[in-house]
Amino acid sequence: MAPYTSFFTRWVNYSPTLLVVLILVPVGAGLLGVLLPAFGWLPALGESTFNTRGFTALWNTAGFMSMALLSYATSLISTLIVVIISCFILASYFNSKLLSYVQRVLGPILVIPHAAAAIAIGFLIAPSGFVMRLFSPWLTGVEQPPDILLPNDPFGLSIIIGLVLKELPFILLMTLAALQQKEINHTINAHFSLAKSLGYHPFTGFFKVVLPTLYPFMRLPIYAILAYSSASIEIPLILGPNAPPTLAVAIMQWFNDVDLNLRIKASAGAIAQLFVTLLVLFSWWLFEKLVMAFAKSSLVNGRRVYADRAWRILTHCITLLIIFAIIFSLMGLILWSFAGYWSFPHAFPDTLVSTHWQNVLSQIPETLSNTLIVGVVSTSLALVLTLFALEAEQQQQKPLSTATSLLIYLPLLIPSIAFLFGIVWMKEQIGGGSVFLYVIMGHLLFVLPYVFLSMATSFRKLDQRYAAVAASLGCSPWRIFWQVKLPQLSIPMLFTYALGLAISFSQYLPTLLLGGGRINTLTTEAVALSSGSSRRLTAVYVIMQLALPALGFLLAWLIPKIIFRQRQ
Amino acid sequence: MSSQKHPSHFAATRVVHQTKCGVILLCLLMVLSFAALSQVDTNTANTKQTSAAIDLNKTKQWQHILQEAQQQTVYFYAWGGDPQVNSYIQWVAKQVLERYQVKLVHVKLAQTSDAVSRVLAEKSAQNTTNGQVDMLWINGQNFANMAKNNLLEPSWVEQLPNFTLTNPTQNPAMTRDFGVPTQGMEAPWGRAALTFYHNSKYSPNPPMTLPELQTWSRQHPGRFTYAKPPDFLGLSFLKYALIVLNQSQDPQVFKLLYETPTTNSQQLLLKPLWQFLDNLHPYLWREGSYFVNDGASLRRLVGDNEILLSFTFTAPDIPAAVARYDLPVNIRSYAMLDGSLSNVHFVGIPFNAAHKSGAKVVVNYLMSIEAQAKKQQSAVWGDSTVLDLSILKTQQQNLFASSSQHLSALPVSNSPSLSEPHPAWVNLLTEEWLKRYGAH
Amino acid sequence: MTSPQAKLSIQQLSIWRQKTPLLAIDEDIAAGEILTVMGPSGSGKSTLLNWVSGMMNPVFTAKGKLVLNGNDITELPSHLRQIAVLYQDPLLFNHLTVAGNIAFAMRSGNKEGRRQRISEALESVGLGGMESRWPNSLSGGQQARVALLRVLLNEPKVLLLDEPFSKLDSQLRQDIREIVFAQIRERKLPAILVTHDQQDANATAGKVINLALPQEASSC
Repeated sequence: MAPYTSFFTRWVNYSPTLLVVLILVPVGAGLLGVLLPAFGWLPALGESTFNTRGFTALWNTAGFMSMALLSYATSLISTLIVVIISCFILASYFNSKLLSYVQRVLGPILVIPHAAAAIAIGFLIAPSGFVMRLFSPWLTGVEQPPDILLPNDPFGLSIIIGLVLKELPFILLMTLAALQQKEINHTINAHFSLAKSLGYHPFTGFFKVVLPTLYPFMRLPIYAILAYSSASIEIPLILGPNAPPTLAVAIMQWFNDVDLNLRIKASAGAIAQLFVTLLVLFSWWLFEKLVMAFAKSSLVNGRRVYADRAWRILTHCITLLIIFAIIFSLMGLILWSFAGYWSFPHAFPDTLVSTHWQNVLSQIPETLSNTLIVGVVSTSLALVLTLFALEAEQQQQKPLSTATSLLIYLPLLIPSIAFLFGIVWMKEQIGGGSVFLYVIMGHLLFVLPYVFLSMATSFRKLDQRYAAVAASLGCSPWRIFWQVKLPQLSIPMLFTYALGLAISFSQYLPTLLLGGGRINTLTTEAVALSSGSSRRLTAVYVIMQLALPALGFLLAWLIPKIIFRQRQ
Repeated sequence: MSSQKHPSHFAATRVVHQTKCGVILLCLLMVLSFAALSQVDTNTANTKQTSAAIDLNKTKQWQHILQEAQQQTVYFYAWGGDPQVNSYIQWVAKQVLERYQVKLVHVKLAQTSDAVSRVLAEKSAQNTTNGQVDMLWINGQNFANMAKNNLLEPSWVEQLPNFTLTNPTQNPAMTRDFGVPTQGMEAPWGRAALTFYHNSKYSPNPPMTLPELQTWSRQHPGRFTYAKPPDFLGLSFLKYALIVLNQSQDPQVFKLLYETPTTNSQQLLLKPLWQFLDNLHPYLWREGSYFVNDGASLRRLVGDNEILLSFTFTAPDIPAAVARYDLPVNIRSYAMLDGSLSNVHFVGIPFNAAHKSGAKVVVNYLMSIEAQAKKQQSAVWGDSTVLDLSILKTQQQNLFASSSQHLSALPVSNSPSLSEPHPAWVNLLTEEWLKRYGAH
Repeated sequence: MTSPQAKLSIQQLSIWRQKTPLLAIDEDIAAGEILTVMGPSGSGKSTLLNWVSGMMNPVFTAKGKLVLNGNDITELPSHLRQIAVLYQDPLLFNHLTVAGNIAFAMRSGNKEGRRQRISEALESVGLGGMESRWPNSLSGGQQARVALLRVLLNEPKVLLLDEPFSKLDSQLRQDIREIVFAQIRERKLPAILVTHDQQDANATAGKVINLALPQEASSC
């Protein structure tokens, strides 16, 4: 059959390429914009010869190896803990109703911006923090905060705590989503039931029978958080040590330093960061191989119980602990936003006032509209591109190449610090253009992978026969797409839209750097304020940062209930 | 008989002759004085004419700038961590919109170097006319850096009519930033001096000098700290210590602080500081193993009761923080008896600013009597004025009279003012401090 | 003698799966006639239907021509062929009402006219008054009837039936089958029926083809 082409099909067929280009070009150019100065080329400072001075300076920086080690260790350890806890939770609550409760509670955590989470957790665990206030002086006997170094401890424990609390929901939700996929859902449930009927305790059964099938689906999210946490900025900045800090934080401080010559060292550092991230990913891959080698024998040794009751109880405790940590962090924020003076060791503010809220709300309209505009435009673009690319997959009747699929996740895997500064440099070369446009394109880079991830499963699950019926009834491909496929995807589309919005709302570095500081969003305001000292105002902004995406998800959940109510 | 002249005749002739000389002399004198006087008159007339011409030129120039500035949107890149400062800038924006039809936008920075990076990036991309930064709140090291790299517009401050109100000829601090000449690249905006504050409930007797600080910290271990370099406030504490600890040195050695450091002066002047810090650190918060990143965190720690003593550059910040519930009501401010590090902070215009005229109009307004008086009110910002009150009229001076003092505000003190060392010491201090106490 | 009625011609069709031949057919189907294709799973019945409707999976290759009323439509895209398919599952669009589903398939035109035709059609199959019902609220038999109406009101030139009665119970099966075949004869549509059920084949009173599994001797 000769392929039918129309305006629609042509554009649809371009879209996977367009997608890749939209991601590859900025990231590539950004990397270039960092690679060149790393090797000494920075004309603005009069440096135009290639050399490796930057790398030498980097190597000679006091504590450089500690910085790299800190980044490496915290990301690996936190990811390991996250994976273990996720497995425990899944094993304990497999097929029980509790799992869906856990899913619902942890879901909203996903969309909390990292900076907000770090601030909230920092307040929870500090010696003058909420936990101490709750238990002092009646349990601990202290009237003044003890002089213990947590957060900001030199071993990065606080960083690990922060990362674990923030990334656990992500892995859990991604795994649950994978579990519910038609292809493996049936198989896994069947296997699990079979194991139980063979006498395996459910907990052990999960690890020996379900996990091997499930793990490949967890791999991509795991690599994503490995990459992210090895180069994360907000959490180590707020919760981590500063002598020395993690590598990414140090790089950012060099980029921002008043001494402009540190630029070159910073660029070299960004390249070094890339290597650290690669090393982290490689180490995890090695670790996978090791575990598989060790587990081979234990998988078939016939042992059916491994102190499962105890593990189960431990899991319950951990889950409760995590839920409480999240609830109390949130409570702390809310209390701060309404707090008059709040002296230690009171567990409740001395007075409650609404001035902070009034203060912020009176100054917020422009910030809010910026946040919304950038979010709506970037998410809409991402959604349209994603839908077209997925449609192209079906029209061409072959799946997107693995190269394309991997490239879409590129912005998530490459440390943003490594290419964002380069994009700014490229932007300066081009000159002109509205700042809004640049910020939107920057957000697009980070929203696209999540939108694609979220939409792909639903789109690919569509029953193709509906399209066939419609075609046989004389519908053109465009009509099929618009009137048959999209309506079937309305709920996933709403959810994906809310997710995209949430990702856009939480972006900090892209907004700041690409907007030249001209575009104020909720997140940039919150971070700017957190560098001042009004914790109360910061708390108000953080709560708004949380409320906005939560509102988006609420709408995504509510709208179908209202509009499609009759269809039930 | 004709040869015989009468002697009186002779005398008379002599008198007449003398009179004639006298008259001629007198006339000559008169002519000369008239000439001289008229010359003087001409000179004054000339001077009046020249200064009038200059004034006329300046006014014409200023009128031109005012006209160009209308309808412009000016982007003011300034630290945004203090809500009071932000509100003040909003107030200024309202005023300049009403008066000059200039729209002022406050771009809130987490740190000033963000804006410096921006201008640098623009320069590297050969953007010489369309810079995004129109005005920049800077001083000290930031200024020195930008000046070194030619990132600031030179010689524009004299164009501003209100600059004369600062009486720059009598007040050299208006044209020197940490001792480095400003060359008209930045206009003075306000003054700051290092002020200490303590929690009077848990620490009723605060240290009043640096040696007392040492003793106090042994009595209250873990209740004091400072921000680590390169933070501005942390460095200011170190500079204060540096100056006070070296005051006992030979004056020739001491004045090396105000010049570029050399290997020799480094050794001589920094040694007392490291000794002092080595003795102090074990009694600091977290035993000196962790220092907060920025000065703002210090105030948070005081509010949380984690530390009992701290310092700031903006004294009026403290009563404002108490009013905002960020600090307890028992906080009291004071100035160290052995001196307070003082400086002036400025506003600069980048070389490639897109809206230079608008920026100049705004800066001029910032230096106006009205804006400076408002800024000095403790309920607004409380930042000291840079205007020379002695050249103002009495009713204008009254605008600057302080209203009722807040309990926690800084009382009038006799603390001597310590000038900032040469900016090159800042980098040096940072490097050396990080080497000793930084990365482990 | 050429009649002015519709005629579907499958000319020398052979379908291959990689190097393996799957089936070979050369048939003409006159207006109102039903060609029945039977055979075990994997013999290529659905692939044949897919080829005719223009939706064959690219893993297969085909040679041959498809001629409808004298026009060669072998290379024509699916949605332009006016060849309708009735599947096992009714596949009603869940986001449209019963009337919406049927209207979707009709040509655009006078709104009032369409509404009337839909009502009449629903009446004719015993579903009068159900225009605003949602597909989820209908029984299997009711959905099958709506699916049939949807296909018929589309006024196709050819009707393909892919085991459309296999999910219905025996009594319903008979009823629906009668309705469908009656419509085919009335509207003079050439039709191809794929089925497992011998009774279906008998009821068509038309030619029956048995496809064999590939790599066996092909029988005809």
